[in-house]
Amino acid sequence: MKSTEALTHGIRLVNRAPVILGCVYLVTLLTALPFSLMMRQALQSHLGNSMMAEQVARGVNVQWWSEFIARTGPLGRTFQTTIIGFAAVLDNLSTLADANQRPTPILWAGALYLVLWLFLSGGILDRYARRRPTRSYEFFTACGIYFVRFLRLAPIAAIAYYMLFAVVHPLLLDQVYGELIRDVSVERNAFFLRLALYLVFGALLVAVNIVIDYAKVRAVVEDRRSMIGALTAGARFVRRNPGAVAGLYLLNAAVFVLVLLVYALIAPGAESTGAGLWLGLLVSQLYLAGRLWVRLVFFASETVLFQARLAHAGYIASAPVPRPEPPIVEQALR
Amino acid sequence: MIRRAFLVIAIVHAGAGAAAAQALSPRNANYTIDVRLDTQARTLTARETLVWTNITSAPADELQFHLYYNAWRNEDSTWMRELRLTTWWSAARARRAGDSAAIDISSLKVTGGAVSPADLTSRMRFIAPDDGNQNDRTLMAVALPSPIGPGQSVTLDIVFTAKVPRTFARTGVIGDYYFLGQWFPKIGVLDATGNWNCHQFHVGTEFFSDFGIYDVRMTVPQGWLVAATGRERERKDNADGTTTHRYYQEDVHDFAWTTSPDFVEHRERFEYPGLPAVDMRLLLQPEHAGQAARHFEGTRASLRQYGEMFGAYPYGHITIVDPPWNNDTGGMEYPTLFTAGTSWLTPRRDPYLDDTLVHETGHQWWYGMVGTNEVEDAWMDEGINQYANARVMAEEFSDGREVPRFFGGFVPWVIEDARWDRVTVGEYRSDYTGSPTIDIPSTPSFRYWPRTSAPMTYAKPALWLHTLERALGWTMMQQILGTFFDRWKFKHPGPDDLFQVANEVSGRDLTPFFDQVYRGSVVFDYGVDSVNSAETDDGQFASDVIVRRHGDGIFPVTILVTLANGEQRRFAWDGGSRWHRVTVEHASRAVSAQVDPEQILLLDTNFTNNSFTTESQAARAATKWAAIWMVWLQDQMLAWAFFI
Repeated sequence: MKSTEALTHGIRLVNRAPVILGCVYLVTLLTALPFSLMMRQALQSHLGNSMMAEQVARGVNVQWWSEFIARTGPLGRTFQTTIIGFAAVLDNLSTLADANQRPTPILWAGALYLVLWLFLSGGILDRYARRRPTRSYEFFTACGIYFVRFLRLAPIAAIAYYMLFAVVHPLLLDQVYGELIRDVSVERNAFFLRLALYLVFGALLVAVNIVIDYAKVRAVVEDRRSMIGALTAGARFVRRNPGAVAGLYLLNAAVFVLVLLVYALIAPGAESTGAGLWLGLLVSQLYLAGRLWVRLVFFASETVLFQARLAHAGYIASAPVPRPEPPIVEQALR
Repeated sequence: MIRRAFLVIAIVHAGAGAAAAQALSPRNANYTIDVRLDTQARTLTARETLVWTNITSAPADELQFHLYYNAWRNEDSTWMRELRLTTWWSAARARRAGDSAAIDISSLKVTGGAVSPADLTSRMRFIAPDDGNQNDRTLMAVALPSPIGPGQSVTLDIVFTAKVPRTFARTGVIGDYYFLGQWFPKIGVLDATGNWNCHQFHVGTEFFSDFGIYDVRMTVPQGWLVAATGRERERKDNADGTTTHRYYQEDVHDFAWTTSPDFVEHRERFEYPGLPAVDMRLLLQPEHAGQAARHFEGTRASLRQYGEMFGAYPYGHITIVDPPWNNDTGGMEYPTLFTAGTSWLTPRRDPYLDDTLVHETGHQWWYGMVGTNEVEDAWMDEGINQYANARVMAEEFSDGREVPRFFGGFVPWVIEDARWDRVTVGEYRSDYTGSPTIDIPSTPSFRYWPRTSAPMTYAKPALWLHTLERALGWTMMQQILGTFFDRWKFKHPGPDDLFQVANEVSGRDLTPFFDQVYRGSVVFDYGVDSVNSAETDDGQFASDVIVRRHGDGIFPVTILVTLANGEQRRFAWDGGSRWHRVTVEHASRAVSAQVDPEQILLLDTNFTNNSFTTESQAARAATKWAAIWMVWLQDQMLAWAFFI
């Protein structure tokens, strides 16, 4: 199977299981919501009975904004103008690319979200590997089974990512970059040097990401219990199918970039009120759903590629877990 | 046969009969310097002839010189010690041994004037009057064989070499770009009492020197463009592959120059009714080729606005230097020349370049012509200029937006909703409100806590000047600063001179205000505490508004009460007591109140509490912004989901 076919199959799989998309969207929303309510409380408390609230409700008031930032805590200090529109996307991607720290409350939100994703990912992969609808109890049973296994995989992945961000990133983008640009006085040249180093770091990051992705795929599709085994099997698959794996990853990345470009064009500002505001928020939420859809397409297309390449298409090692019928059904059956 | 071609270009310009021109300044420190730049060794070799006149009424028995390149000679200079207290220290630690600088005088002789010819080289000694640091070599004293009396002059011949630092503190070299400021032995200022006002180089302060004439020959590799304080008078190609450029300028108190083979030169002329024409010369980096017009636009706006606000720019020429990337020389002013600073990717609505151009051009007035002491009263040039700069920006470039930069600072993004604001952005209000008590402005600037610069030197004076503008009106403010400029141009005024002019021109005693904003570090914060209405027996409403003074600062303010039927009542309060009550009896109840509704007192550290409404919109505003923030958080979480 070619990468393009894997991608189109993956897209079909994701589109045929909208409940999964809805589920991960809901998880994203519900994880962010409590923190958002905390932020709302901080904002409301600072504004109090001030007449400034009316201007703030209309749009950006830089005077109030600077006063709020000066008087708020770590969570509140993330309330920068870069939260507006597409700047939010650039801010987050740039923070990742430059390995900048986020304040502790945001890290807690992230940690919670990653744990939830880890829990769901087994069920998601299981659903895409089966290529047929699963009932919710099957889905969540798979989630539970693989969550325990993925929790064993997580420390290995965490160490790999930690090494990349704590060791490789400062080496490349601080030390090597610092040396390379020390006598560069043309900004364009410096930019391309940094871009090259981003690509080097990004390639390493993607390599780790791909191996871990296929480790999870193999763990689910082949019902592997040993995560070390899944990891080596994942690496072996990547090594034996480098073109297809890389091609598929690039195609998925292209879809991701496309989603970003569309949002860059339609991202709402902050001056709307009333219906306009809610419409803008709806657009933003659709974009976020789009991002989640891309992430699911990654999962689905990688599963499809693995199954196609190893002729495991109809083979799911993990049998559905038998679940007793509700008493009323059993009674009827008798 | 060796053919030697000597090209001499005599540049004829308006006012070339300089010797005959009327002196604008005392011209008591006149320099003739012949300097050669060695681009391989990155050194300067020079001979300096200084004619210095004692314009005070006291005799001078020694001379003092700034040798500021020695600030980066070792790690123990006062400048480097102070740097460790700043936030820039971590970046500075990345510097290497070869990045350092030095200036060494090999010979200093008296060759004429009131003192008999003598070799004073052995009499040179380093002094450290500010902190006694024996490792600091940024100041030198030379005892004279006989005093120089009032009105007498002395001619000195100084031979020196200087090692150019890697660009640091707005001077030095990177690649083939040289920007040379504070590169020569510069005499201090003898004050009226006969004491030298000559300070070591400090990390948070700049410079102070006397006005004079500079006639400087700079020899650089052929093909390298040169720009400097003054106009080019002569250019001569030498047989050794170098070119000597001669620049000449009268009535300035410093001299800086730049050279690079990479500059692209542009010229335009500023002309505006009622103001003298100015030849503008721009030396641009090739990668900023598309931004030439913008550089001229900003400079032109500033020449016009400052010219109209304060007085004409008299030099007839100005040079804008666009420094390359990765340098530390941007945004620096010298007489008739300044550095700007831009980026390869610069959206039109990014106000940074416009702001830098306006600010540095503005320094030609507040620093260049009004020669305040930047070491002791740094706020006088930076603060007044920041105030004027923000005003010009509001007039000319108010369509600016906030433009954060991502991915290593290379990728800009315009946030259309975050507009440039004169007070918050232009006058750095948040810098001030974040640390309003960090220092007392009347403290000599070189004794400031090294991180004081932004809040005390720029923001606070800009805000209190703007407060005066709002309190007295722009017409009066313009008269005050215009009078101050006219009276003190080409002189060395101090803070009291400004205050005296302000009192005199306004016809008011503003001393209590200056005592608070200049001689103290009081915090201003007025707020509305509550608005309560109660129905009286006659069917009316008695509405009580409680206003508080949360800070130590006192300023007369207005209280505005708005009633449910839309009517408004104004009350004056001297702002002295800790709290104040106003009562309105009316058929309508009070729905809101504001203290200082026009925001006259811009030093108020908390505007949010300046108003109170019984119909708060806080919940609506908070919901909106929390929802927008949630999208950012969701996106952040999705970025991390990549790792699962």
